[in-house]
Amino acid sequence: MNTAMNAYQDHFVEHAMQLPGFDSVSVRVSRQEAMQRFMQSGFPTQRLENWKHTSVTALWKRAYKPSEPGCMGLDPDDITPYLADRRGVYRLVFVNGLFSRPLSDLHDLPVGVRVASMAQLVNDSPCEVEPYLGNHTPGNDQGFSDLNHALWGDGAFVHLPSGTRLEKPLHLLYLSTISREPMVAMPRNVVVAGTDAHAQIVESYASLGQARHFTNAHTTLVLGEKARVRHLLLLQESLVAHHVGTMRATQMGDSCLDSQLFSMGGELTRQELHVTLAGERAECSLDGLFIAGGGQHMDFHTSMHHTSPDTWSRQLYKGVLDGNARGVFNGVVRVPPGIHHTRSNQTSANLLLSDTAEIDTKPQLEINTDAVQCSHGATVGSLDPEALFYLQSRGLNVTSARLLLIKGFAEEVLQRVKPTLLQAWVGQSLNLGVKQS
Amino acid sequence: MNILEVRNLHVSVMNKPILRGLELHLKPGEVHAIMGPNGSGKSTLANVLAGRGDYQVTAGEILYQGQELLSMAPEDRARAGLFLAFQNPVEIPGVSNVRLLKEAFNAHQRYRRLPEMDAMAFRAYLNERTKSLELSEDWLLRPVNAGFSGGEKKRNELLQMMVLEPHLAILDEIDSGLDIDALAKVAAGINALRDTKRSMLLITHYPRLLEQVPPDKVHVLIGGQIVLCGGLDLAGQLEERGYGWLF
Repeated sequence: MNTAMNAYQDHFVEHAMQLPGFDSVSVRVSRQEAMQRFMQSGFPTQRLENWKHTSVTALWKRAYKPSEPGCMGLDPDDITPYLADRRGVYRLVFVNGLFSRPLSDLHDLPVGVRVASMAQLVNDSPCEVEPYLGNHTPGNDQGFSDLNHALWGDGAFVHLPSGTRLEKPLHLLYLSTISREPMVAMPRNVVVAGTDAHAQIVESYASLGQARHFTNAHTTLVLGEKARVRHLLLLQESLVAHHVGTMRATQMGDSCLDSQLFSMGGELTRQELHVTLAGERAECSLDGLFIAGGGQHMDFHTSMHHTSPDTWSRQLYKGVLDGNARGVFNGVVRVPPGIHHTRSNQTSANLLLSDTAEIDTKPQLEINTDAVQCSHGATVGSLDPEALFYLQSRGLNVTSARLLLIKGFAEEVLQRVKPTLLQAWVGQSLNLGVKQS
Repeated sequence: MNILEVRNLHVSVMNKPILRGLELHLKPGEVHAIMGPNGSGKSTLANVLAGRGDYQVTAGEILYQGQELLSMAPEDRARAGLFLAFQNPVEIPGVSNVRLLKEAFNAHQRYRRLPEMDAMAFRAYLNERTKSLELSEDWLLRPVNAGFSGGEKKRNELLQMMVLEPHLAILDEIDSGLDIDALAKVAAGINALRDTKRSMLLITHYPRLLEQVPPDKVHVLIGGQIVLCGGLDLAGQLEERGYGWLF
């Protein structure tokens, strides 16, 4: 592991001046501190409780090189398959982790709304982003976040001033291409929704062909009072790609966050979602659907911190696992002492399509107060033979019957995607996922 | 030619003999009723005809339209026009009625080498049928049987039958759990599908359905064999006297 760590440190030292924000003291210091923390903790190992089901040895053994500019040359047609819509969506496109202006489309953005490349902004106008780049969460399992914070090369910065509305969804597309040496992209994204601002953000990760690459992404969401944000995260990278991602959201009073995650790609995927309900009456729903087959390994960790009274959260995570795939779901709901009138529900449902697929699911409640309504549950099952026979007796062959039942299982999560345009798009991507597995 | 010939059928479930030498012959256009006490093998017969697993056929044969039925996969039986209305229809959350009907209908069309119906035409085809069954407007968008009442499930089976227009329909206790009004609607639906070619096998406990859908023959199944055969009046007799006198 040390060799891999040292390679990242060497890169950090050699390329410090080229990393975005070098001229900003606070950004430079923040990168250095993150690098130090990473060198102390290293990559997480299975000895850590939160990583016990997921080994990242294969990840650090593959000598990933941070991507460099100049390897793009994609034209708009290349990215069409990865877009929800050409016109009905704003989009910011990153190729191998770096912003591509020609592929992006931001015109008609409402006045005052800021959507920009993080790398450009931190160089041109550092004071706009500095407040959001310094924070880090302590812990010995934060190696990937620390690595991201030390080496991030670009990302999206989205700022919605008070009262603004994004009528069209904003699509942040991260595309990785095939390269001679396996590449790592480390996007750092910040989305700030001011008081009463509304937005729909789509964050999607994809590969061109069977690219062997590693994405280590970090996304910060800040929701001001009464802000409403829908966040759709789509993980559909190649079956030989590695993906580690962290989403951290902080919500002020009366804000509402709807997060939906759909994961189909990647050889190894680990996604964390951490939400803090920091203001009264804040509401959050986290929904996820993961479809894994072959030898795919997918691991989802959520944590919901109710730090204010009268807050509400709901989580629904569904997994479909075939072949030798392995899935992990771990969700924690925390309610500290004195935080009353919180309501929380957490459900994990899983469908195993083969005898060799595996799921470890662990919904947890850490409730340290009274006057709360919290519930959780987990199920693991296989396709219902009665339902299969029922469909066959209506003329469907076994393959179509299985597919229909799997779609039916997925539908509950898919239905939560709004608007219809995005729902249809995600639905199409899922069909592919089911065929692959 | 008979549409269905069941000859000397012996079937076991987990090595326990249920059907012991059952004989049944149905001509095109005929409606037969099968009555019998619980455990006599009525549902076993229905399930074996539809091709459910877990049943061991130890002797006998079944010919459907002159073709050996037992070697056919359940979906091929369905596409060849055999339909089973389930006694306990399965709930399938997440799959809408319209989705299932469309897939099933198109599977039938492909089997018959007919073109698939386009979405608009199919919608009109469905609306005709939902109207005649007096089903609510959102019925087609609701998930298959999920949260349906007993009566709704039965009407949904009937809707599927009306859409798939089978040659042989086996209705396994389609009348159970229905109140008088619902039964009248279901009976009207069944009668609307009766014609000179379509055959039906009504499995029931009650003569009320048979009064509204008069069968050509009534068979009494006891201990895995047909012990008595008669007309509609036989159903009335059974209602009065029970099955005890037949053992």
